[in-house]
Amino acid sequence: MNAIEVTKLSKTYPGGVAAVKGIDFAVAAGEVFGLLGPNGAGKSTTVGMLTTTIEPSSGSARLAGFDVAEEPLDARRVSSVVFQDPVVDRSLTGRRNLEIHARLWGVEPREAEGWIPELAATFGLADLVDRPAGTYSGGQRRRLEIARALVSHPRVLFLDEPTVGLDPRIRAELLEVIAGLRSRSELTVLLTTHYLEEAERLCDRVAIIHAGRIVALDTPAALLAGLGRQLVELRVDGSVSSALAALRDRGVAGEDAFAVGSRVTVPLHGHSSSEAIAAIHDLGLAGAISAREPTLDDVYLRLTGDSLAAAA
Amino acid sequence: MSTAEIAIPAPTRRPRALGPLATLARRRFQLTARTPRELFVPLLTPIMFALVIAPALKTALHTSASYESFVAIGTVGLLIPLNTMFSGLSVIVDRISGAQPELLTAPIPRGLLVIGNLLVALAITALQVGVLIAVAVARGIHFHATGTGVLWFVAAGVLFTVGMYGLAEILAGRVPRQEEYIARVPAIAILPWFLAGALFPIIALPSFLTWVAKFLPLTHGLALMRYGLLQDSTGLHAIWGLSDPTAMAALSLAVIGGFALLLTAASIRVFSRSAVR
Repeated sequence: MNAIEVTKLSKTYPGGVAAVKGIDFAVAAGEVFGLLGPNGAGKSTTVGMLTTTIEPSSGSARLAGFDVAEEPLDARRVSSVVFQDPVVDRSLTGRRNLEIHARLWGVEPREAEGWIPELAATFGLADLVDRPAGTYSGGQRRRLEIARALVSHPRVLFLDEPTVGLDPRIRAELLEVIAGLRSRSELTVLLTTHYLEEAERLCDRVAIIHAGRIVALDTPAALLAGLGRQLVELRVDGSVSSALAALRDRGVAGEDAFAVGSRVTVPLHGHSSSEAIAAIHDLGLAGAISAREPTLDDVYLRLTGDSLAAAA
Repeated sequence: MSTAEIAIPAPTRRPRALGPLATLARRRFQLTARTPRELFVPLLTPIMFALVIAPALKTALHTSASYESFVAIGTVGLLIPLNTMFSGLSVIVDRISGAQPELLTAPIPRGLLVIGNLLVALAITALQVGVLIAVAVARGIHFHATGTGVLWFVAAGVLFTVGMYGLAEILAGRVPRQEEYIARVPAIAILPWFLAGALFPIIALPSFLTWVAKFLPLTHGLALMRYGLLQDSTGLHAIWGLSDPTAMAALSLAVIGGFALLLTAASIRVFSRSAVR
C-alpha cells in the first residue's frame, strides 16, 4: 500500500482561483517525495488538502489508506506537519510543546516520558528543552518543530518549505537533520520546496508543480538525464526562434532545446561541448556562451518557460 | 550536530476525547497564566465600579445601602463579558502567532479546541467573580444568600459565561485581526450592560428600551443573580410580570440556558468551518 495516494485532486478557492488542477501522484512507504515549484504553484495548497485544513474541490487523497475527506481523524492520526511559518507555543517550554503533541496524538504518557528526551537529544535540544520556545533561535525552533512532528511516530511527515527564511548556516544544519529522516524506513516524507538543491539532495522522487499542475515526476537523476550529461547555454542578439531553427538544422540542438528571453539552452546528446560550441561559433550566433551540467532548474525552465529562482 | 537517526515505533492509537480535552484546557490555562493581562485587566473596571463608583453614586443620589449590593451584582454583568471577550482575543493570537495550526492537524474533533478554551474561560471568570464578591463583602456590601440562592447565582453566571464565550469565539472566528476584534468589543460587552439593569432597574428606561432589555440575556442573568444573592425578584418581575419568583427564575434560567446552548453550538460550527479553507 502506498503511504500517500492522490487522485485528480483539485482546489479552487472562493473567488475562482484554481490553485491545484487535478494532480495525481503516489508515494511509497519510506519514500522521500519532493513537490518542487515556485511560490503560488500549489504546493502548500496540496499539503493543506492532505492535512485536512483545506477542503478539496474535487478528487481524492489517502494517507496510509485513510481518505482525508472521509476519514480525517484517522488521516491526521498517521501524519504530522512541519509548517512553513513558525507554529509553536512560544511561552511554553520546548518540552511542553512536545508533550502537548504527544497527548493529542494519543502517545501514552509513560512512553512519551522516555521518547521526548531521546528526540530532544537527537535534535540537539537537550539543553534547551526546558526553556520557553520563544527564546529559541530560528534553527532551534525548526528543530523543535521537527522533533514535535516525530513525537507521535507518524507514518507520513509533511515538511512544508521547512528551510524558508533561515540563514545559510542554519539551513545547512537543518538539511542535515532532514537528511537523517531518510534513515527511518517506516517514515514517508513529503517535502515542498522551491530550492533545487534541497530536492536533489533529499528526495527519492520529485514532482515539479507549475500553476497547479504536475508537469514532471521522476527521480532527480532521471529528470536530469532527460537533458543529457551536459548542455550549452548561449545568449543571442537576434531572433531566438531563428537561432533555435539554425541549431536544429545544423544537428547541434534537438527538440528539447529551449529558449527563455534571449537565452537559448541546448542539451547535448551525442555531441561534446567543444563540438557544439564550435558549431555555434560557425553559425555566428553566440553573444555569450557557456557549457555546464544540467540542473533541475533547467528541467523546470524547459517545462514551464520560467526559472524556479525567478518564479520563487 | 550529527545526523538524526531514530527508529520509528508503531503508530499511535486513537486518543480518547477526555484526554485531549484535558490537554487542551491545560495548555490554554498555561498560556493564560503567562499572560497576566488576561487574568487581571478584566477585573480592574468592575472592581472600580464596586468599590468607587457604587459608593459614590449612593452618596450622590442618597439611595439606600442596598444600592451598593445592586451595583455589585451589576458589575458581575460587566466582568463576565469583558473576561470572555479577552479570552476570545487569545484565540486570534493563537491563530496568528501560536500553535493553533498544529492543533488543527491533531486527530481530535476540532470542537474540542473550543470546549477546552471555554473551560478555562469559565474557570478564570469564576475566579474573578469570586474575587469581586469577596472584595465587595470586605468593603461592607451585604448579600442575603441562601444555599438555593447561591445555586441560582452560579447557574446564571455559568450559563451566561458559556453563552458569552460562544459569542467571543464566533467573533474571533469571523474577524482576521486583533484590532478589528477589539473595535467590536464595546458594542458586545459594554453597550448591553447599560441597558440590562446593571446600574438601575430596566423599568427606568424609556419603554421601548425596556422591551429591548427584556430580550437581552444579560438582563435575565442579572435579574437571576440578584434573585439568588439578594433575594430580590424585582428584576425578574420587570421582565416577566408574574407573581411566582421561582417560576420567573426558571424562565430566565431557560432563556440563558438557550443562549448558552445556541452560542456554544454556533461557535463550534464557526470554528470548525473557519479551520478549513
